[in-house]
Amino acid sequence: MPLFGRRGSAKETTLFFATDVHGSERTWRKFLNAAAFYRADVLVMGGDVMGKLAIPIIREAPGRYRATIHGRVERLETEQEVQRARERIGALGFYDVVMDEDEYAATRADEQAVDRLWRDLATERLARWIELAEERLGPKGIRCYVSGGNDDLLEVMDTLPREGTRSFVGVEGQATPIDDQHVIVSLPYVNPTPWHTPREAPEEELSRMIDAALAGVTGFDHAIFNFHAPPKDSTLDTCPLLDASTDPPSQVVRGGQPVLHGAGSTAVREAIARYQPLLGLHGHIHEAQAAARIGRTLCVNPGSEYGEGVLRGVLVHLSDGKVRSYQMTTG
Amino acid sequence: MATAAAIPEVFVRKSSGLVRVMSPSSAFIYNVLTMGLIFPWTYLWAPGALPGGQLVWGILLAMALEIPIALSYVWLSTAFPRTGGDYVFQSRVLGGGVAFTLVFSGFVIWILQWVALSGWLLAALGFAPLFLGLGAATGSAAFVDAATFFTTAEGIIITSIGNALVAMLILVSGFRNYVRLQRVMWVAILVSFATMLIVLATTAAADVPARLDAFSAAIGGSPTFTADAIAAAEAGGVNLRPEFSLLATLLVAPIAWTSLQWATYSSQQNGEIKSAGSFRSQAFIMVGALVLTGVLLALLAFVLERAIGSEFLYVAGAGYWGAADVSLAGSYLWPNIIATAIANNPLVTVLIAAGFILNAHQIVHNCYIGMTRVMLAMSFDRLLPEWVSRVSERFHTPVNAHVVYFLASIPVIWLYNTFTYGEGDGTVTWTSLTLGVTFACGYVFVATALAGALLPFRAKTAYEASPGAAYTIGGFPLVTVVGLLGAAFGVVFLYLFLTNEQLGLTSQLAYTVVGGVLLFSAAWYLIAKTLRRQAGVDVGYAFREIPPE
Repeated sequence: MPLFGRRGSAKETTLFFATDVHGSERTWRKFLNAAAFYRADVLVMGGDVMGKLAIPIIREAPGRYRATIHGRVERLETEQEVQRARERIGALGFYDVVMDEDEYAATRADEQAVDRLWRDLATERLARWIELAEERLGPKGIRCYVSGGNDDLLEVMDTLPREGTRSFVGVEGQATPIDDQHVIVSLPYVNPTPWHTPREAPEEELSRMIDAALAGVTGFDHAIFNFHAPPKDSTLDTCPLLDASTDPPSQVVRGGQPVLHGAGSTAVREAIARYQPLLGLHGHIHEAQAAARIGRTLCVNPGSEYGEGVLRGVLVHLSDGKVRSYQMTTG
Repeated sequence: MATAAAIPEVFVRKSSGLVRVMSPSSAFIYNVLTMGLIFPWTYLWAPGALPGGQLVWGILLAMALEIPIALSYVWLSTAFPRTGGDYVFQSRVLGGGVAFTLVFSGFVIWILQWVALSGWLLAALGFAPLFLGLGAATGSAAFVDAATFFTTAEGIIITSIGNALVAMLILVSGFRNYVRLQRVMWVAILVSFATMLIVLATTAAADVPARLDAFSAAIGGSPTFTADAIAAAEAGGVNLRPEFSLLATLLVAPIAWTSLQWATYSSQQNGEIKSAGSFRSQAFIMVGALVLTGVLLALLAFVLERAIGSEFLYVAGAGYWGAADVSLAGSYLWPNIIATAIANNPLVTVLIAAGFILNAHQIVHNCYIGMTRVMLAMSFDRLLPEWVSRVSERFHTPVNAHVVYFLASIPVIWLYNTFTYGEGDGTVTWTSLTLGVTFACGYVFVATALAGALLPFRAKTAYEASPGAAYTIGGFPLVTVVGLLGAAFGVVFLYLFLTNEQLGLTSQLAYTVVGGVLLFSAAWYLIAKTLRRQAGVDVGYAFREIPPE
């Protein structure tokens, strides 16, 4: 037996969790490759897969375009330059759409057209991501469990469940076994935010959603809570306090300084304290990379740096109803 | 070609997002404070050890040579605008083993000595001049005795431990409490520095000897202090009128680097800085702070030399360097003490002392803030124990890391103030290793500058997505040019440290300590890696980029 090695012969599951990729092509591709790279048995995506920004590549004349990237207008004179710009936009987590001047002006002036644009771009990218997951993970027999988060539109996430996939499993709002021992329960909703994002709910309602998702789950010592919202005041949720009365929300400053607070959910915290699952996987607060224990439950938020094309994640080794070890990764 | 967009032609969706708390101006202030307008070594170490060296030119040279290093950090910060600084930059570009060994040795371990230096600065340049000035103004022997106490090893050790403890408690209670304090420190230091400059610049050089004599008499010392000091220096064999020496001027630069090498320290907190990905913001934060601080330090050297004259500057240096017994009740003639003495005014005394006390105390905050974040990152990477990275639910701060760093600083404080090795002329004190921390942190900065040079090749995607990618020379990445220049300049500094005894790092003790800390860090990495592997954890995963394709 190795001096610092693991004991026992129980089957071990290595799970890789990442979250909040926000449409970033590069981080999604890294996420799919993480299984082979880290020798993980299971991949879990914690939500917020939709991008936040769409950049129109505006056709000014045949073969001449412009696009605003990093706040600067770039002139694109060849198809190669357009293609390179599209790749950069995708790596940054943004969507791109090629439009004529008139089309851009008309879309911009019509709120419903903008909504349709978002839905179409996000649905198209998600479909492509699912195909890519099947292509890369299917032959290896690795499962990839994906839930949305508060920033993901319901009508886009409704396209998650797929028939006949080998690897990709949409797991929103339900309990799903990931191997012979463990079950993952996912919840995309979060407690109210100053941004009024698509999927938020008051704490009481969140509590009811959690209870509904947990219905039928037995043996919480083998359960994994993949709840997008981190538990309240757990250090997985530390961020600046924001004033929701301004648009966009602004920092609350007292004594000349920004106030930090825990933006997590009390309902999530209470559920973890009550059910004591094996593991809590959380996201939502990108800057709060942390791990903490609530009773026996290890809760982890690996944070997110999707904007730089960096895949933050956590690698967790599970067996015998215990977390054998975990490791934050920066891929 | 690219131009700024008047109204960005993009569609933005309502969604939650990361909010950064530190403004670019706060980060700029943070860097200026970290560079330490009060760091005094250049002003006495250089005249004491380097006759013929020109302080102003040495300081400006250090500033000029630091510019390419700082520019390299600008590129790296816009490519990796997140918390972690050198450890992140080096681990992404040079690999985890190199990054851990250099940053753990050069920063985490050696910066413990900065905790000791902060306590020394607080006692010797903060409290001692305060009580000395008050003693002169009131004629109270108790004040003078208190001033002398703060120049003794016992006084400095007590001050240093108290200083470190108070900073730890403030930071553990929440980062915002420190940020609130930072504003007060900034104002106090500017007022203090301006007061010191005004006193030194407006006092007629001919009046200075008499004023020093009067101050000395007021604290119970010699009424002919200036003449006595000059005589003591000459008796000690000090040449008070040396000819200009290019080499000595060149060697002033590594001492001045003790301040100016910290121009880029805000990169440790990039994840908390607004517009951290903006090239212009980062250039303002780092290069701007460097130039401002360099000019201010050179200005201080200029007015100091103008006020007391070159000859007496060598006398003051001789006191610090141990060639002559030149002090005011145990205090060497640092610029702030000279300004306090020639003003001999209680208000001026308090204004100058307040800035030095707060800046000295602020340095220990910087040590904790920067190093606890690095320790957290190393703990997440599984190279330090897991409990190091635990964050208090109550305070939202890494309490364990702070406590560990405080406890580790106590033996270093003791060593710095009491350790001697050898006998007679061969006696070496730990104080002679003061610039060891400049050397050690210097090799971290050099490695990061090199990481900047290699950024376009070793982290191609991050580089190409960053705004710095737009800057090239004939298609060649400009960051590679400035990174190589910065690394080369840094290597020159390191070489000067290792080969010139005037900088204090050529003793057997120095080689042993510098080499030992490096070897210890490398061994720690290898042992941690091996043990983690046995437990099923590959620490390399913390650094290696996953190929997207």
